[in-house]
Amino acid sequence: MGSDEAYNFVFKVVLIGESGVGKSNLLSRFTKNEFNHDSRTTIGVEFSTRTVQLNSFTIKAQIWDTAGLERYRAITSAYYRGAVGALLVYDITKHLTYESVERWLKELYDHADPHMVVMLVGNKTDLESERSVPTEEAKDFAEKKGLLFLETSALESTNVESAFNTVLEEIHKKVSSKEVIRGSIKAVTLNSSRPEDEEEKKPCCRNI
Amino acid sequence: MAKTEQGNGLELHDNTEKLTDSKGKGESNGMDPEVNGSIPEDRQVDKYGFTGGTQQELAEEVPIAVLRQREAKWLEMLNSWDKWMSKKHSKVKERCQKGIPPSLRGRAWLYLTGAKVKREQNKGRFEELDNQPGDPKWVDVIERDLHRQFPFHEMFAARGGHGQQDLFRVLKAYTLHRPDEGYCQAQAPVAAVLLMHMPAEDAFWVLVQICEKYLPGYYSTGLEAIQLDGEILNALLRRVSASAHRHLKKHKLEPILYMTEWFMCAFSRTLPWSSVLRVWDMFLCEGVKILFRVGLVLLKCMLGTQEKLKSCQGLYETMELLKKISPQYMRESFLVQEIIELPVSEKDIEKEHQAQLRRWKETHGDLNCKSPPRMHGAKAIMAAEPPSRQELRQRPTIIVESPLESKTDVVSEANGKTKTTKENGHTAVLPTETVNPGDPSPALQSLNIQGSKESLSSDDLDTYL
Repeated sequence: MGSDEAYNFVFKVVLIGESGVGKSNLLSRFTKNEFNHDSRTTIGVEFSTRTVQLNSFTIKAQIWDTAGLERYRAITSAYYRGAVGALLVYDITKHLTYESVERWLKELYDHADPHMVVMLVGNKTDLESERSVPTEEAKDFAEKKGLLFLETSALESTNVESAFNTVLEEIHKKVSSKEVIRGSIKAVTLNSSRPEDEEEKKPCCRNI
Repeated sequence: MAKTEQGNGLELHDNTEKLTDSKGKGESNGMDPEVNGSIPEDRQVDKYGFTGGTQQELAEEVPIAVLRQREAKWLEMLNSWDKWMSKKHSKVKERCQKGIPPSLRGRAWLYLTGAKVKREQNKGRFEELDNQPGDPKWVDVIERDLHRQFPFHEMFAARGGHGQQDLFRVLKAYTLHRPDEGYCQAQAPVAAVLLMHMPAEDAFWVLVQICEKYLPGYYSTGLEAIQLDGEILNALLRRVSASAHRHLKKHKLEPILYMTEWFMCAFSRTLPWSSVLRVWDMFLCEGVKILFRVGLVLLKCMLGTQEKLKSCQGLYETMELLKKISPQYMRESFLVQEIIELPVSEKDIEKEHQAQLRRWKETHGDLNCKSPPRMHGAKAIMAAEPPSRQELRQRPTIIVESPLESKTDVVSEANGKTKTTKENGHTAVLPTETVNPGDPSPALQSLNIQGSKESLSSDDLDTYL
């Protein structure tokens, strides 16, 4: 599975959150089953894909990753364009990274589709002994804000599949009423009744 | 691959060197074995310091004889730097294009960037900054990044090792030097490249020059300068490769999505290492236009033909393609030639800069971060702040007289005998005050080095690009 012809949807999902919380490793763990203690600082944009089966549908998840440092927020509008899902990541051992979640949410809603599916992710559960963000507190916050919630460990692979799959499922639920042209490489938006939709409306390779 | 012998007795096979005795006490190469757990005992390290063996493949081999010649010429240039920069700058530029000999690269970069002068004018400043604790907010972010720069380079592999420590010192010092700017993550790889060639204090001043003169505003809040340069790159692309330009426009692939890492890290994270060094040699001599030319060459090569464009049907596929540049386009010999031949000048860039600035103001309003105008290379920097002779004086620890300056040369060999040769085209040597067992003079003795008058003309022997 995973050949270009075989998927029904392409969902663009973005990873956001403070520098050092583990976004790049969540990406590599999910798309390549790799983890690196010394993975390079993300500068600019990184991305990777993975195709998953959801019910009877084949979904190509296009995951985007970028620098978390505050300063880089100036260049993120291109990054958010067309995204239908987001994983807002914080580090459970660094309370400050959790405190900036509100700011990230605002950033998200300023730039991205308001119908976007967002999951709050508390990463690095392998460092339980250094925890500084109680699970219940984050869970309550997520509920209040209408966000999904999971705690993960990219290092140990805990809940990584679950996190991405849950987001993809939720996105799929929102779009499943839309008609799909089989075999088209078309990124999906949640509200395609918008006339000035920025995505390619024409399938690009009818002959594939 | 040729087997070469270095003066210090290390034998190089296939240009890789075994890391011996990694369990010994603190090595001067920056690895602290007690702290380090990540590099196994006999992991191969290439001549640039990288493990993994992938950096060597696309490098050029320069014959030792040519290398020694170039070194002698560079030593001469550095000895009277202001004269060469003001009267023979085209020669300096040409030599940078040919590639600075590795043994003098650090020093050459120090001089080209004007960092040497800055250091002399600000004696004690780095030490002062080094001794301060730094703003905790920046210190925290910097510390998180130390193990994430070139982790496959022996200098930076060890957590808490000398390389990472120096990286910390340089970056922290910068945040104290420019508290309004603070730290931007792309500065780390830039500083790391510098530290591979020079000590922390020198690296600090070169970083300052890069951030203030070559790429002002790149690392500042708002990242406006890099966004503008992205627009300039895109505009220039139209002239260089209309089809590539069209394709990017069609798929709405904004420059910021592909050129950010290229430019902010000056291609140090994109190209094979030998190409990085050649690009930096030219960039530090001629300024940002080199970065533009590299970007344009890569875009033209990857997106310039119909077959290539057929294979990338959308924004994402195009981005993927640009992330995986074919090695043939990044190899040293090919890339350098393309860069030199691409007709994009400072004027072109400045003109486009003005046009894009106008457009920017229409859509974004005035710039939030007004940086000073950039300097297009070494000559401009020097002209803006002419240094004194004193500030340019070299302070080497081993004094060697250049073979191109003295009329009669005296050779002192390891065993104390001396020989005199006349300067009639058969020179070699170097009177040494300190006798090194690994003295390169035996190799030099077999060379014909042109006399000092002739060194200013074009070199028949040196045709290596």
